[in-house]
Amino acid sequence: MSALRVVMFGDVDAGKSTILGRLMVDCGYVPRQKLDEMERSSERRGVPMEYSFLLDAFQIERDQAITLDSSRIWLRTAKREIVFVDAPGHRELIRNLVSGASEVDAAILVISAEEGITAQTRRQALFLQWFGFTSVIVAINKLDLSAAPQARYEERAAEADAFLRGLEIAPLAILPVAAREGANLAAPGARTAWWRGNTLLAEIEAIETHRDDANAPLRMVVQDVYRRGATRWIVGRIDCGTIARGDALTFWPLRTTARVARIVRWPDDVERASAGAAVALELDERIFVDRGAIATHEDSGPTTGHAISAALLWLGERPARAGANLRMRLGTREIAVTIARIDETFEPEDGRGRAAEEARAGDIAAVTLVARETIAADPALPASSISRFILLDEGRVVAGGKVRAVAATVRGEGATNIVAARSSVGRDERGARNGHRGYVFWLTGLPSSGKSTIAMHVERMLFERGRHVYVLDGDTLRTTLNVDLGFTEEDRRENVRRIAAIAGIFADAGIVVLTALISPYAADREQARAACAAGFAEIYVRCDLETAEKRDVKGHYRRARAGELERFTGVSAPYEAPQRPDLVLDTTHESVEASAAAFVEFIERTIRHAE
Amino acid sequence: MERSHLPDDLETLESQSIYILREAFARIDRPAMLWSIGKDSTALLWMVRKAFLGEVPFPLVLLDTGMEFSEVYAFRDRLVREWSLPILNEACPPESAVDQSLPSAARHAARKTAGLRALLERERYRAIVLGIRRDEQAIRAKERVFSPRNADGSWDPQRQPPELWDYYCTEVPDGAHVRVHPLLHWTERDIWRYTQAEGIPFVSLYLARNGQRYRSLGESNITFPIPSEADTIEKIVAELATTREPERAGRAMDGESEDAFERLRAGGYM
Repeated sequence: MSALRVVMFGDVDAGKSTILGRLMVDCGYVPRQKLDEMERSSERRGVPMEYSFLLDAFQIERDQAITLDSSRIWLRTAKREIVFVDAPGHRELIRNLVSGASEVDAAILVISAEEGITAQTRRQALFLQWFGFTSVIVAINKLDLSAAPQARYEERAAEADAFLRGLEIAPLAILPVAAREGANLAAPGARTAWWRGNTLLAEIEAIETHRDDANAPLRMVVQDVYRRGATRWIVGRIDCGTIARGDALTFWPLRTTARVARIVRWPDDVERASAGAAVALELDERIFVDRGAIATHEDSGPTTGHAISAALLWLGERPARAGANLRMRLGTREIAVTIARIDETFEPEDGRGRAAEEARAGDIAAVTLVARETIAADPALPASSISRFILLDEGRVVAGGKVRAVAATVRGEGATNIVAARSSVGRDERGARNGHRGYVFWLTGLPSSGKSTIAMHVERMLFERGRHVYVLDGDTLRTTLNVDLGFTEEDRRENVRRIAAIAGIFADAGIVVLTALISPYAADREQARAACAAGFAEIYVRCDLETAEKRDVKGHYRRARAGELERFTGVSAPYEAPQRPDLVLDTTHESVEASAAAFVEFIERTIRHAE
Repeated sequence: MERSHLPDDLETLESQSIYILREAFARIDRPAMLWSIGKDSTALLWMVRKAFLGEVPFPLVLLDTGMEFSEVYAFRDRLVREWSLPILNEACPPESAVDQSLPSAARHAARKTAGLRALLERERYRAIVLGIRRDEQAIRAKERVFSPRNADGSWDPQRQPPELWDYYCTEVPDGAHVRVHPLLHWTERDIWRYTQAEGIPFVSLYLARNGQRYRSLGESNITFPIPSEADTIEKIVAELATTREPERAGRAMDGESEDAFERLRAGGYM
């Protein structure tokens, strides 16, 4: 089993290095010679035994008693091999923190019981959210400094729990520790004798890391093409999925295709290779492939377009602004991009987005990037290299980014030079005047499931309550805005894109928007979410096919069954039900009134203006 | 035919190293690799041949102080012959030419730094591939996979660039170079398990004779054997599972003063 990789997060002086140093010592991992060296080094600096010196190896780190750069240390217990990444807590050292954190399985967030949740803790928690950690353990440290450790722990634990849940991070555990005394690290301690839960080490050992990357859609990044004799070898790494000999592959973004004639892990030929493997492929045809391409199976490719909405972790010394021309490294490709717009930055205080002109070092920002070249990226496949990127400015790394959506083509030459003008009135200001936020509630469901009926019902109810509300109905808009569109997958995508763009503008203007259209593809709905920066909730109007077909308000099901209507969702075109909708309205069993009431309650809760 | 598979964890480590090697080769002109002929850089050399389908597409440099063990030289000559390796034997300047304020064993080690600097000046290599690991030593634990060096070869650990996911820094200013560390994420025990599983040749000094073996091979004048009964790789792997002694305990230069290794590395040592 591969080593479990765990990164330490937390404010300066919360005790991250001390926890690790002491844990290693308590596990008997530190040789006498090294302990002596640490004791001498502590003595020389006039401090009691400093466990953090095990990791803080630089002279300047010891002199200033802080961690400057991330470090690694290995611990092998009876159950698990663990690699700890110790990272600095200072805001100025974020580049070192992120270097440690980008390739790990789990995070430990250390909070000092004395200080509680500090501004820097809040910022780092945003990073946890941005990195997408699902395994987070919270350690409330320094309980040895408290007269009433149990009460202090309970107070801090409740704070931490509420704060993290606000960011949609569900910690695996919130533990008390006293690192200097070794209490509750590898073994229970006197200071935490009242604690009935696990020790920190036991909690870490229990972390599950299983990811089924081999069965995910195939992504292979092409690193190079080597010529050996008459053969051209496509070399690269499989990020996820599996390649078998004979498979037809598509290479993006050019969309060239060929079959795999041989798979070699030198010096052996293999029949198949899976996620993680470095391979060399011979193809059955001479097609153009070079570094930067991504290979996939034909039916499950990435999303392409010229505009990417992304969540950036900005690291540059100069702030990010609209109009900046940067280089993007996405997979093994390098692409010139422009920041078209900074949509919002996320505040450490509550994790909420606020409109912003710029993003400073350490900020997480939602931005729109545009490129002249076609970009192929994966908004919803974390194992894929093209789900994440870095941005460079004159050769220096200025940001890490996660792809949230790839927008449809920005048409026309010169589109990459467009810089969006920013409204002079902020979203918060509009919210304050209206008494509620602008927001998009996106209803999706089968034909005749009740989307329009419910939307119209709720529109009336909200209007009576003094809300600014409007329904964008898919069928209605097909007679005007979308009159040029049909029902192919591509046209449906464009239909969703346009309605999402309008809904986003309405919501920005402070209006509560209800959209009612089938929007059958999950990926398109994700794009819609990204287009609605003011706020977006996916509402699944759930109705079983039999019931919907019995209703058949417009007679479409009957015609589809008779073969008169092509590509009819539910009959001759697919419907991808939401995996994690924000709200489900069950119209098979509920009355329109009951669904509407539940929906209004949900809307009112969501659009409440934060004072 | 398919050989018996490597254990999954070793296969993952190997694939990561191959990915790194191919990135270095694709993105940086004029790479070279340092081959100290020890267990780590020999395992790395094995992976280089895998990455490049049987070829070694850049020079292999031995920074030669003339003080290596005779077994090491014999091993070098054998592999160069058997694998047709593009070896470049670089003679290092004498001890009198290095920073005299360093402790005495560190001065011997610093000869290699001086040899490397001379080599870089002459050959203008832009990437130096080498087999250091993070678990060897606390200063090395802070290294990046791609670690830029200043024009004089020195390392500025306070200003390392961010390294996000596997987007490595490959921007090299004129006259400077990047150290490429494909084995950073391996442990000593991983290397031995891999060496065993793949049947990679190694210098016999690592195996115990008369109750002693070399755990880390440096110059013969500043490297000492450790007490050990491990006369097979299996026994080395078992020994490493329980030992609490640091790997470089037999390297005199590491323990001379608290900052000796940091000073060596800041000056450009491996």
